[in-house]
Amino acid sequence: MSSLSCEDFFYLLGVIHVNVKEKINTLEKKLKAALASVENQAQLQEIKAEFLGKKAEISQFMKHMKDLPDEERPAFGQMVNEAKKRFSDLIEAQREAIKKAELDALLRKETVDVTLDAPDYTLGSTHILNQIIEEIEDLFIGMGYLIKEGPEIETDELNFEKLNLPKDHPARDMQDSLYIGNETLLRTHTSPVQVRTMLAYGGEKPVKIICPGKVYRRDDDDATHSHQFTQIEGLVVDKDTTMSDMKGTLLAVARHLFGPDREIRFRPDYFPFTEPSVEVDVTCANCDGKGCNICKQTGYIEILGAGMVNDKVLKMSGYDPKIYQGFAFGIGVERLAMLKYGIEDIRHFYTNDLRFNKQFKR
Amino acid sequence: MKVSLNWLSDYIDLSDITPEQLKHRFTIQSQEVEALYPLTTAKNLVVGHVVTLEAHPDADKLKICSVDVGRETLQIICGAPNVAADQRVVVALPGAVLPGGFKIENTKIRGVESSGMICSLKELGIDEKYHAETGIHVLPETAKVGEDAITVLGFDDIILDVDTKPDRPELLSMAGFAYDIAALFDLGINIDAADYQGDDIENPFKIKTETEACPSYYGAYMENITIKPSPLWLKARLIAAGIRPINNVVDITNYVMLETGQPLHAFDYDKLGSNEIVVRLAEAGERFITLDEKKRTLNKDDILITNGESPVALGGVMGGLDSEVTTDTKRILLESATFKPRNIRRTSQRLDLKSESSTRFEKGLNTEGTLNALKRACELLIKYAGAKVSKDIASFDHHKHEKRTIELSLSKLNGVLGSALDLAETKDILRRLRFPYTVDKEIFTDEAPARRPDLITYQDLIEEIGRIYDYNNLPDTLPKTVSRGGLTPYQLFKRQIRHALNGLGLNETITYSLIDKQHVHDLSRIKDIDPVTLANPLSEIHSTLIVTPLNGLIEVAAYNVNRRMDHVHVYELSKRYTVDKETELLGMLMKGPYHNHYWQENAPTNFFTIKGIIEALRERFMLPKFSYENVTLDNYHPHQTAVIKIDGTILGHVGKLHPTYAADHDLEDVFIAELDLEAFYAYAAKDNTYETVLRFPSVSRDIALVLDENITAGTILESIHEYSTTILKDAHVFDVYQGEHIETGKKSLAIRLRFEDKTGTLKTKTIDEMVKNILEALKKEHDAVLR
Ligand SMILES: [Zn+2]
Repeated sequence: MSSLSCEDFFYLLGVIHVNVKEKINTLEKKLKAALASVENQAQLQEIKAEFLGKKAEISQFMKHMKDLPDEERPAFGQMVNEAKKRFSDLIEAQREAIKKAELDALLRKETVDVTLDAPDYTLGSTHILNQIIEEIEDLFIGMGYLIKEGPEIETDELNFEKLNLPKDHPARDMQDSLYIGNETLLRTHTSPVQVRTMLAYGGEKPVKIICPGKVYRRDDDDATHSHQFTQIEGLVVDKDTTMSDMKGTLLAVARHLFGPDREIRFRPDYFPFTEPSVEVDVTCANCDGKGCNICKQTGYIEILGAGMVNDKVLKMSGYDPKIYQGFAFGIGVERLAMLKYGIEDIRHFYTNDLRFNKQFKR
Repeated sequence: MKVSLNWLSDYIDLSDITPEQLKHRFTIQSQEVEALYPLTTAKNLVVGHVVTLEAHPDADKLKICSVDVGRETLQIICGAPNVAADQRVVVALPGAVLPGGFKIENTKIRGVESSGMICSLKELGIDEKYHAETGIHVLPETAKVGEDAITVLGFDDIILDVDTKPDRPELLSMAGFAYDIAALFDLGINIDAADYQGDDIENPFKIKTETEACPSYYGAYMENITIKPSPLWLKARLIAAGIRPINNVVDITNYVMLETGQPLHAFDYDKLGSNEIVVRLAEAGERFITLDEKKRTLNKDDILITNGESPVALGGVMGGLDSEVTTDTKRILLESATFKPRNIRRTSQRLDLKSESSTRFEKGLNTEGTLNALKRACELLIKYAGAKVSKDIASFDHHKHEKRTIELSLSKLNGVLGSALDLAETKDILRRLRFPYTVDKEIFTDEAPARRPDLITYQDLIEEIGRIYDYNNLPDTLPKTVSRGGLTPYQLFKRQIRHALNGLGLNETITYSLIDKQHVHDLSRIKDIDPVTLANPLSEIHSTLIVTPLNGLIEVAAYNVNRRMDHVHVYELSKRYTVDKETELLGMLMKGPYHNHYWQENAPTNFFTIKGIIEALRERFMLPKFSYENVTLDNYHPHQTAVIKIDGTILGHVGKLHPTYAADHDLEDVFIAELDLEAFYAYAAKDNTYETVLRFPSVSRDIALVLDENITAGTILESIHEYSTTILKDAHVFDVYQGEHIETGKKSLAIRLRFEDKTGTLKTKTIDEMVKNILEALKKEHDAVLR
């Protein structure tokens, strides 16, 4: 230091400053140019070594530090460090850009055709007959009914005799039966479940039940007949159960199944187990009761049979008809489904063509 | 019954009621009217007189008729062989439309003008079952030229076709309809009792019965009969009712039956061979030829009318061929009797012989009307067959002839119907029904008319009052019974099974319970079940109750695969039917890719797919672990079938359908399973249980073993559990390998063991020791060594 004059010193200082500053600018331009053509991380590493490594020019600048007066050193050091930081930021920014480009390229390779089919994870469905049973069960459960089931192989006594259908009764013609032995048969209706329930209750307590299940008749299968079909029968027995209660209940069923605007009508009919007996029609949902092909121009569609339980039936099942009275009804589930959905052939229910079954998903 | 409105008008005044109103009211308040239709739709037809007849110049079979139709004389070409000069005929005038839409127009037939058509009955729309005429219809000479021919024929009628229910036997008679319609519309009624004056002729018959099955029998004897066609009006009424006119005597018996509901039978006296009628039951094996010329073998249910020695009629069902009324008949015995419905029904069913007569007898007749019907027939036979009738009627009658009374209080009536009828309204309904009654305070004592043998109980009476009041006037209320509704836990379980399987992608089916006996045990596991077989099957293919739902599922698979649906994953809740027990079963079938992946690779559907479904159900309903044991069952793959057990109880089975059996159904690679639902439910957890979720993760160790290829994974896993403590959470095989680097006859199993300790973090040392123990045990027990 002592060998330099004051003037010398200031001159030198200015040269170093100017030189270094210029050199940094040049280097920065060079770096930017180099980064612009970098394509991968390896090239970037090389550039980093070249511009920021130990042997890099910028690292050499610090050697001039010792030639500077003490008070100048911090400013000089700051200038060089700031430059290094800038260089480094430029390199790192480029590193991120390369990373992103590489990932983008990778993701591009994973492009899918979003219009292709997904695997077939479709859920299965309950058979339409059981769907309707569940729907009706739920309606009645809401009204305080129990669901009762029973055997399909029945005795003549429970299937017929206790329902006021003694042997040789003319009405037995109406339901030609499939017999197993002289006294056993496939039940022709679910009414024996009602008898079984009344007998089990011992003639003591009120009955409010519905009985869904398979039943059988000796019918040749065709579009409207099936030797096997499904019924839901209902029974209410109490001290004050009236035919008007039956009417209100069946109106609720009709509206639940066919819509809130439906009306019903009763027509006299005959069943050995009830008296009075009625056939119940619902106003045609297709034409709103005006008359169309579906309802054969009558405006009404027959949906079920019902009646006040015959005293003889109550008595045979252990209920005193002087104290108890009640109503019963029977719904053909296939018929209901056919009406509701316009199904044209009863055999569809038992063929199980999956193109049929899968249409019903409720 | 087919009800002629013309005929009905004899008894009641229908002039203010349209047929449609009648149909509607009758349907709503009495019985279902199945159809309402005119006897013929033909219009614009007149009576014509064939004045002259000439041959057609250009056609051998055609004739040129000059027909006087009153206003004019028409030239009509006619091809009927029976057309002749001076006949009265039915002429369809130009402009007439015949049934089937056939329009009559002025036309030229082979160059000759023709203005109209001379008609046959068939062309008027009268079915050939009601007549034997082949040519044109020839009217009697009394028919007035120019009059409406349809009116002359009595065909200007409308028919109400009513489905008669068993509890309304009175609706098998015109009189019954008249009473009912009179009640519905509050009309007057005019039905006279029969009245006739007998001639001074002795009735030679002695009549008796040897059976209670024939409680009454009335027989009238008559002579001087002339058999001839019935008058037009009578024929028309029979045709309207659906009965073919034969001759005056037969027609009158049928007419009176339709009018009163009481079947009658006429015997040719000269062919009876005695003056005695004895009614008895047939001997078993006795033979008899009915008038339809069929030889019948009889039994002890059948009622026979005999001449004291041999049968002459099958009582209540059909007459005998030998004593039938023919064109030569001069003298007859006319029978009006009652028979026990039960016997008639049995006879008619067994012999498959339903007649107008048997239909009425088996429903139960008005036992008070027997004699009146006979008298009514006598009246008509005198008038239309020239009969001279015996003064006496031979008879026996064991009916009690008591009045039937029914008591019903107004409060009971309203209590059953839920109505609010008062005394006056109720009285008015009984008046309309013409039921005589007395009333004391609010209690009605009602006399059931003889014409209504069906009225016996107070419920019968409520029904009558209710329908005349019209049930549709009742309020809509709900039962006052308060009760708790709901499914039983088992019923809920069955629904949950369905919903679980639906969630797993399986579709529910319902198939027939009745199948071919030959195939009942095709897919069953329990072979010693005697299948339940019908005594009267409709066909062999629906003769026997199933013992497994699998038969139906195979049919469903075959049906769908046949229609190019390769993904058949189905289940059915059905039963194993035995005589004394019905066991609820779940059947499942899987065929084709489970969850079709289309363009992506499908996971294979194999034994483990369906096993996976079973395990999903087990897990869902929280049952303990199942064990699967290989089993050999007919028609199943011998090495891919297992029974499913829990605690030694068999819950069901699962397996692959034998390729040969599958091929017989045009199927391949079908996997099926059957579960006993009740047994399954018995092991299902009835509620959730809660265990604290551990804070520490479980620790896994993998081991690879080499062992004999015949040792099952299940056996090894069972041993692993046996030689572990509760810290072993589970063990799963994650790789099975045979081939290179593994000795022939051996296989390699890679097993992942998962350890967990509720009390804290597991120490490596504890796990090491346990794995060591396990390996030692496996070596000792199964000669399984670490790979
Ligand atoms: Zn309609």
